[in-house]
Order: sequence, then structure tokens, then C-alpha cells
Amino acid sequence: MPGPFACLVWFVCMLCEAAVVVCALKKGAFRRYLLLNLYMGGAVLSELGRFKILSEYGFNSMQYRYFYFYSDAILTIFLYFALIALYSHVFSEMKAERYVKMGALLLLGGTAAFTGAVVLQSSAKLVTHFVVDLSQNLYFVGLVLTYVLWGAILKLRETRTRLIQLVLSLGVYFSLFAANYAIRNLYPPLSSVFVPLIQIFGLFLPLAWAYAFWRLPEEARLVPARLAVIPR
Amino acid sequence: MSRKLAVVFLAMLVLVAAMGLKTIVTAHGDGSVIMANGGAPAPPTPYKNGGAPAPPTPYKNGGAPAPPTPY
Repeated sequence: MPGPFACLVWFVCMLCEAAVVVCALKKGAFRRYLLLNLYMGGAVLSELGRFKILSEYGFNSMQYRYFYFYSDAILTIFLYFALIALYSHVFSEMKAERYVKMGALLLLGGTAAFTGAVVLQSSAKLVTHFVVDLSQNLYFVGLVLTYVLWGAILKLRETRTRLIQLVLSLGVYFSLFAANYAIRNLYPPLSSVFVPLIQIFGLFLPLAWAYAFWRLPEEARLVPARLAVIPR
Repeated sequence: MSRKLAVVFLAMLVLVAAMGLKTIVTAHGDGSVIMANGGAPAPPTPYKNGGAPAPPTPYKNGGAPAPPTPY
């Protein structure tokens, strides 16, 4: 069983994830951001399942390992679709939703095909390898897609505050994990510091999204960037 | 048609960029995986049983240096 600090962070994370769904329901944003809320609801269910299996079988049991990685893969697919929903919101005025959906399915299929081709090189436990690797690859695809979406938001001069908060927090969240992983591999002696940080980083996204739903109304707009005025 | 092709091109470009980024980040990795969903403590991957060091590949018999290919 993990230590009391790890359990505390885990419990707080679960509460924050539930808070996102509650805040969205209270502020009437549940249906508008349905896929984001489904992801958070799925995350809460997954955390409950993980806790049940961990308390029954233990941290090092194969049951916990399989449940953890399989549920993580499902959650990553949910997160991918939540990100695509954010794309649909940003491009809604351009009537490009059909193309966004087509691109999303194509990218998901391409990632799965690439993962399958790589995993076929290994000899054993193909399905488990595939599930873990697909989760990893989708994570990196999500990271790149979030930066592309941020570029599109800047280019389109998007002013919807809540949407910007949702996208930016997702970008920071992805980047935190990637930076943590890279630093751990660059400086292995610092692993004892950076490994526990992974759990704390897990708090960031639900907190940021709960804030976005609770404090930022849908009508809130950022002041657009100052436009250059050319005297005639 | 060209818009559809542009979507296909962009999707492939994102896939290449993501896999390239993954290769850069995990090139010198210790085999652990990045987990970014929830706050549960991450266990070791299920297909890496135990912490024993990996043995040499079974198809390399002996320690003799490999000769050049016969062709």
C-alpha cells in the first residue's frame, strides 16, 4: 500500500475530478463540454476502481497493474476526444467540424496502426504491450495537438476566456508530465524528487478545469490583442 | 477534395511530430512510461516482471566477436 501522503494526494485528486463535473453541472456547462465532463467522470470511476483493486490485491499485484494500465489507456482515449471537442469549439465558426472529426478519426487510426506495427516486433503479451504503447503514443499526439490548438487560438484571435483556460491548462498539464519524464531521465539521481511529483501534477488539470467552470462564465471574453493602427 | 487532402496531410504531420517527440523524450529512458491520468500511484508495467537485469539475447551464442557478413 502506498504511503499516507500518496493516499492523501490521490484522494484530493479524486475529489477535484468530481468537482469538475459538479461545477459544470451547477453552471450549466455539462452538455456544452460533454466530452470533457465524460473524461472527468470516467477518471473518478477509474480512481474508485483502482482504489478497490489496490486495497484488495495490493500495489505490486498483477491485478492492480493490469487494471491501472488498461483503465489509463481508456482514459487517454477519452482525453483525446475531449481535446477534439475543444478543436470543434474553436473551429465552430468556420464550419469545419466535419473536417475536425475526419482528421481526429484518421489520426487515432494512424496512431493505433503505428502502435500495432511497433508492438508486433515484440514476442509476448501483445495486447498489453499494445494497450500501454497506444496510451503513450496518444499522450504525445495529444501534447502536439494541444500546442497546434493553442497556435490556432492565437491565429484566430480567440477571446472566449473559458475556452482559452481549458486549452491552456491542458497544454500545461501535458507539458508538466513530459518535462518531468525528461528531467528524470537526464538526472536519474533526482528521481526520488520527481517521481512523487507525478501524483501532484495529476491535481493540476481537474483544479484548472473546475476553476474554469466555476469562476469563468461562458460569456466572458478576453480583451483582444492590441491592433496596430496605421495612420493614413 | 483539396481540403480533405489537407486534413489527411495535417493528421499525418501531427502523427510524425508526436512520434518524433516521443523518440526524443524517451530515447534515454529507463523503460518507464508516462502516465497522465489521475492521481493513483503508478505501478510497474505488467509485462516487466521483477527487477532482474535483462539477459543477453538468446540467439547470440558465446562471446566471440561477430565476423563480417559472408556476402
